[in-house]
Amino acid sequence: MALTRINIGPVHPSTHGVARLVVDLDGDTIVKIEPHIGYLHRGVEKLVETRMYMQSPPYMEKIDYVAPMAMDELYVATVEKALGIDVSEKAGYARMILLELQRIASHLFWIGSVTNDLGQSFTGFMWGFRDRDIILRLLEDATGQRMFYVNMRLGGITREFPKDFEENTIKTLAYLEKRMKEYENFIEKNPIFIQRMKGVGVLSIDDAINLGVTGHVLRACGVKYDVRKNNPYYNYETLNFHPKILSDGDNLSRYRVRIMEIEESIRIIRDSFYKLQSAHGNMVGMPVKLVSPKPVNKIAMVSREAPRGEAMMYLVCDDQKPYRLSIRSPTFINLAALNHIAKGHRLADLFSIFATLDMVMADVDR
Amino acid sequence: MLIDNLTGYFYSGLNSPNILVSILFVIIYAIIISILMSVFAYVFGWVERKMIAKTQYRHGPTYVGKYGIFQNLADFIKLLSKEKMVPGNADRFLLNVAPVLLVSITVFIIFLIPFSPYLQASNLGLGLLVIFVFLGFTPLLLFVAGYSSGGKFAELGAQRSVLMLISYEIPMIIVVATVGFAAGSYNLNSIIRMQSTLPYAILMPIGLIIFFIAMLAELERPPFDLREADSELIAGWLTDISAPYYALALMLDYTRMFMGSLIIAILFFAGWSGPILPGIFWLIIKAFIISVFIIIVRVTVVRMRIDKILKLGWMYLLPLSLINLLLTLIIVIL
Amino acid sequence: MNIERAALLPTIEKMKQSGFDYLVKITAVDYIKKINVIYILRSLEQNKDEILEVEIDPTDAWIESIMKFYLGADWYERELQEMFGVKIKGRVAKRLLLEKWDGKGFPLRKNFVWNKSYDKE
Repeated sequence: MALTRINIGPVHPSTHGVARLVVDLDGDTIVKIEPHIGYLHRGVEKLVETRMYMQSPPYMEKIDYVAPMAMDELYVATVEKALGIDVSEKAGYARMILLELQRIASHLFWIGSVTNDLGQSFTGFMWGFRDRDIILRLLEDATGQRMFYVNMRLGGITREFPKDFEENTIKTLAYLEKRMKEYENFIEKNPIFIQRMKGVGVLSIDDAINLGVTGHVLRACGVKYDVRKNNPYYNYETLNFHPKILSDGDNLSRYRVRIMEIEESIRIIRDSFYKLQSAHGNMVGMPVKLVSPKPVNKIAMVSREAPRGEAMMYLVCDDQKPYRLSIRSPTFINLAALNHIAKGHRLADLFSIFATLDMVMADVDR
Repeated sequence: MLIDNLTGYFYSGLNSPNILVSILFVIIYAIIISILMSVFAYVFGWVERKMIAKTQYRHGPTYVGKYGIFQNLADFIKLLSKEKMVPGNADRFLLNVAPVLLVSITVFIIFLIPFSPYLQASNLGLGLLVIFVFLGFTPLLLFVAGYSSGGKFAELGAQRSVLMLISYEIPMIIVVATVGFAAGSYNLNSIIRMQSTLPYAILMPIGLIIFFIAMLAELERPPFDLREADSELIAGWLTDISAPYYALALMLDYTRMFMGSLIIAILFFAGWSGPILPGIFWLIIKAFIISVFIIIVRVTVVRMRIDKILKLGWMYLLPLSLINLLLTLIIVIL
Repeated sequence: MNIERAALLPTIEKMKQSGFDYLVKITAVDYIKKINVIYILRSLEQNKDEILEVEIDPTDAWIESIMKFYLGADWYERELQEMFGVKIKGRVAKRLLLEKWDGKGFPLRKNFVWNKSYDKE
């Protein structure tokens, strides 16, 4: 039978931006998917080369616009490593709190988009967005901006946390824990949802490693790799933190891994606040100056567990500018695995797989 | 009493021996029913938007009119004022005819439905069967509409709806036949009269559930909205339909929901019969409540996959409908 | 770890056998006189990263594909080819991955100059 070739995107309700998938179908079964990316390619890596070190963080935030702080922090941490600047214990905890809040916000956004892609006429979507907005409000309290914070400074963050920030955050976390139960009742106890997710888009552990997928996709396959545990940064070592893994590698495991990660993040934030009280050092970093200290290391490589997986930056230093900045974005490599995962599934499953891989096209294209 | 008198007058007009008077009354009735249908579809469009908004912690339409009641009207006018575009490889004739035919079939079915003992275009002896014969045309027309627009998404949607058709149509017809057996007649009014003591919702709850699911599939409401699965096929057969026909298609969605709710209300909830209020109010109240249920289903479930729908139809609905038939026969004979 | 271009495939094969089964990233740095292609490999079990650097001549820029060891290398190699003009040997050439233009030059090389005529596209 002749194959049908359909073109999905770049403008399509569930490609999360401007992904274009050229899908070959045999009836309703997918034979081959070829993702076309680059519609959002801005050449960030090249742009950075023309700017001073601390002129770039606003650009970095736009790489992953769902979790801007993660990329911001990653870039600043890379520059810190190159310039040989230490982050104090207190600033480390502050950054951890902000990063984990950002992770929760990003995951809630994702829960919404998954249910929407499965065809739930926006109910889960709105719920996810509502709770995400509460977190964004907290981040706004702490940083002064709702989405694009540019909050990281060399050696710390922009400013001290406001007085009632801790109290508000703890209150919000309690509320979130209650809401997570509600999500479970609403989404996970729905038999049709389970039907659509369980056993769909299975990725075996060997394939996952060979394809190099990261983040929740990798952990859902049973690989115990979380940068926060395996290569700890800031004060993650001091917390009793366990990466969440499941072994089925299907859509449902990816979903559950993320739900568990939210719960884990809630715990991390609580612990961090507790430890923050007795932490030493200064929370506020150096003010932004165009001219920064001379780099100590010629090459700096830093990796972080961003909400979407392991993000990494490889920085080669010039005197005052980056000579070359190479960004490993987690979604780029996860999208490369899409053809492998979705082959042989039905067209309807393509979108649930695409959704659970959690694409942010800006992050893919850089 | 006034309404009863009016409907009585109407009934005598419709069945007048003078053919001209009869035709005149049929035309008047057609206008009244079309207005009723449009009003219901309109109000329900608003109710649905508000209800979904409330479930999702939103406000829904608020600006146009009090509580946004005129929002849909504004949308409708906006759509009418848009340019009508037809894809180059579309079959223009079929693409134009199919939505119009769909609306006419829906209107025709609503004509045959008794709104009160006397308010009905024609009291056919086999009214129920006629309704389902015409209902059977709609998936075909939807298929034609999807196929003729020339887009691949529309074509995929059309294929899906035909596939789905074979899964729910048979259980639905079996349930309809069961209702006919229980009532001893396919006349809609006698089916309703038989239920005045015991609605069939209580006599055959399994049948009601099967019929409700099958009707959701027939109306292509979530979770069976595969044909226009918005996150997969963009909008299915509506992808390439624009301006006035899109407005018509949106209207069609609600009129079909009205039709489906009316059929369920008549077959299982005793249609127009009820105390105090005139029949027409009872029927519309019942249809309204059923429509609300359809919306609740819409906001809570995710879309099913085509193979799972086939499995549901053949593995569960068909055996259950046969069991329902047997049980009902036993009860009725005893 | 710096290695010769000819030694790339044997080295990577040996690395893979010794547990480095996860490819983190392939990237490159243009030092004008040379291009360094960088392979970051990881052993998930030993929790260890290893960086391989291969120096190549910009005028004769090619490198062997490592697709047969790591499927994940696919897109990284295509990106490398597109951005640095490093030809990847041993695999079928595909269309451009990120760029939607067919201008001359390779964007991430230091001698890349934006030509006004590209703007029209």
